[in-house]
Amino acid sequence: MAPERDDHEDILLAPIERTGPGFYWAVAFLSLLILWGAAAYAVQFTEGLGVTGLHQPVAWGFYVTNFVFFIGISHAGTLISAILRLSKAEWRRPITRMAEVITCMVIFIGAGQILVDLGRPDRMMNVLRHGRYQSPLLWDATSISAYLTASLTYLYLPMIPDIAILRDRLGKRKLLYSVLALGWTGTAYQQKVLNRAIAIMAVLVIPIAISVHSVVSFVFSMTLQPSWHSTIFGPYFVVGAIFSGIAGLIVTMIIFRKAYGLDYYLKPIHFRYLGQLLLIMSLLWFYFTFAEYLTGYYGAEPEEMKVFWSKFTGPFWPFFWAMVLCNFVVPLSCLTRLQRHTVGKVLIASICIIIGMWLERFIIVVPTLSFPRLPFPQGVYAPTWVEWGETAGSLGLFALFYLLFTKFFPIVSIWEIREGREHSLKEVEQRIASYLPGDAGEKV
Amino acid sequence: MALWGMVIDLDRCTGCQACVMACKAENNVPAVGADEAQRGRVISWMQVLTETEEEDHEGKTRFIPRPCLQCDDPPCTKVCPVYATYRNPEGIVAQIYARCIGCRFCMAACPYNAKYFNWRGYQKEAPGQNPDVSLREKGVVEKCTFCHHRLQKARERALAEKRDFDPAEYVPACAEACPAKAIVFGDLADPASEVAQQARSPRAFKLQDELGTKPKVIYLTEGESSGS
Amino acid sequence: MAQPPPVSDRLVRTLQWLWLGWAFLLVGGVIIWIVGLILASWRLDDVVQASVGISLVAIPIFIVFMGVVFYVFWGVALHGRKREN
Repeated sequence: MAPERDDHEDILLAPIERTGPGFYWAVAFLSLLILWGAAAYAVQFTEGLGVTGLHQPVAWGFYVTNFVFFIGISHAGTLISAILRLSKAEWRRPITRMAEVITCMVIFIGAGQILVDLGRPDRMMNVLRHGRYQSPLLWDATSISAYLTASLTYLYLPMIPDIAILRDRLGKRKLLYSVLALGWTGTAYQQKVLNRAIAIMAVLVIPIAISVHSVVSFVFSMTLQPSWHSTIFGPYFVVGAIFSGIAGLIVTMIIFRKAYGLDYYLKPIHFRYLGQLLLIMSLLWFYFTFAEYLTGYYGAEPEEMKVFWSKFTGPFWPFFWAMVLCNFVVPLSCLTRLQRHTVGKVLIASICIIIGMWLERFIIVVPTLSFPRLPFPQGVYAPTWVEWGETAGSLGLFALFYLLFTKFFPIVSIWEIREGREHSLKEVEQRIASYLPGDAGEKV
Repeated sequence: MALWGMVIDLDRCTGCQACVMACKAENNVPAVGADEAQRGRVISWMQVLTETEEEDHEGKTRFIPRPCLQCDDPPCTKVCPVYATYRNPEGIVAQIYARCIGCRFCMAACPYNAKYFNWRGYQKEAPGQNPDVSLREKGVVEKCTFCHHRLQKARERALAEKRDFDPAEYVPACAEACPAKAIVFGDLADPASEVAQQARSPRAFKLQDELGTKPKVIYLTEGESSGS
Repeated sequence: MAQPPPVSDRLVRTLQWLWLGWAFLLVGGVIIWIVGLILASWRLDDVVQASVGISLVAIPIFIVFMGVVFYVFWGVALHGRKREN
């Protein structure tokens, strides 16, 4: 039975068919950011890391913060796509593609932050040629490679039917789409193969994603430094990653909903559910943070308390309390009643959370380094234009990659929506009937 | 197999920093300039840390010369991703400048802040440098090596003169320069050596011993004469 | 909408094989890399357990990726087409 063509699908194909002035303005703006970043890095490459604000003892600053932050955002794709797919949450259908693209693009940017941070980037191949697996950085390299491979595969497989639609309906780029569509014709057999492959990847990508951010946290927790050497870091970072990932996804959804007129597909109910997930993650994040700081405070070890007080009342208090405000207070006030003004509330909460989670990474990295155990002469970390530029350029690059993707492939999964319309209603009805007492709805 | 270690007597240390200057001269440690020093980028393989006792009403200041403590269980070598820092069989934690990628993980991991980074290209060829020690380029980590080049030279000299190597011939620049003779250096594995004997003193303690890094620089705390 | 020039079927097939070959090379390369690191750590007597331990998890995962990609390529491109014909 040939699927009925929905005229609304033209909206989803429009960005690929036509390009308006808005796109060019966006590219121009992003290019400026990227240029700033490129200039910053060029200066750093020639002069050395001295052009940043880093020094002894704060040898890690913005770049490492950005690394953890961007890798954290990448958990958007995994959570929405894989977990919701496995739990058969039907509301995921218009969102999965956007989430998966975020994951793939942002991993590149995240891994790039470490390369920018190296004192000798010309020797980066040493990590491959002479790597030591006792070092958490090698765990990072392996786990991020696995995650990138898994995410790219997990993005590509569900795209195949959509690429086939592009191959058949669009006039241009026929060669590209024909090659990537792998000869998809929508037969039942092909569908079975694809569904099975996607299911395997969905199951696989979740533990890999958890391992990625755990391993990123181990870079800190495997050292002996006060406030870093904590067993909570693995789960804490994973929770924080999922938290910031959902926020990143919501902001992306709202931007493209506006830009491409996707109101028909991205409805308030989707934002409401995501908002509820965000609220849960905010509470979870607060719980972990509370447990971490209570433990430190109660034990009152002198080295830990130095760092503790520097965050609560010392030089880092504005960042720490801004973090609490952005990650807990604002989300709690915005997200508890999402019936009305859903999109607006969820947007405010998400923007705050993105800022708050960046601050959280900063608060983890810098204060511990600022207060060494021995009576070392202390300095204050003050980032320079190079570090700000690199951050802006990274965000710009991520946005540009994402934008370019939407010009080549549909940002909402067309076939999954069709599948939802044609099969899911019946399937869900049967499923719910099977939960109820009696034989009704039992599959024969 | 020798196990090179050091004992620093805090009772003798006057905080004159002759050890710091000798180390810088011997190892071509660059002077980073006033601007960079202001930004906290001084490279000082041997550094004298000052600790003011707050509990003591006299506000006594204590000088702690801190070279690399050449730990027997170094936290820095564990985290290096590229084998740029490792512990050699004689107990010296070596640094391979040509391999280092400048990730600064070892700097973040060292609980003694004994590692330093070349934030810019500080070093240039200049007359008066020690030809036995290589110059470090920008972007790599460096630290105290217990003047390992002196050990190599002493061994080679003994070989050339067809005699046995005498551990007393190997003295790092800081130990040699200290006017108060506060730094004693030698083979900790030889129970008869002076450094091993001093290490057994009741006044001996190790910095951050509880971390389990097993440092081979042992300090002797101030005795009764200093009123503590 | 004017009909675009038909794309050569042969060209598409060749590129698809190259696409698959590229995936195979990437995953294969990663596996060879990890094994290389194990050998290096064994040669230098430097915590071989870490390298072996991680490879026991990482290598099977990469092999599964390769398997999934091959399976999709076979099921969708090769077998699916055969069935259709």
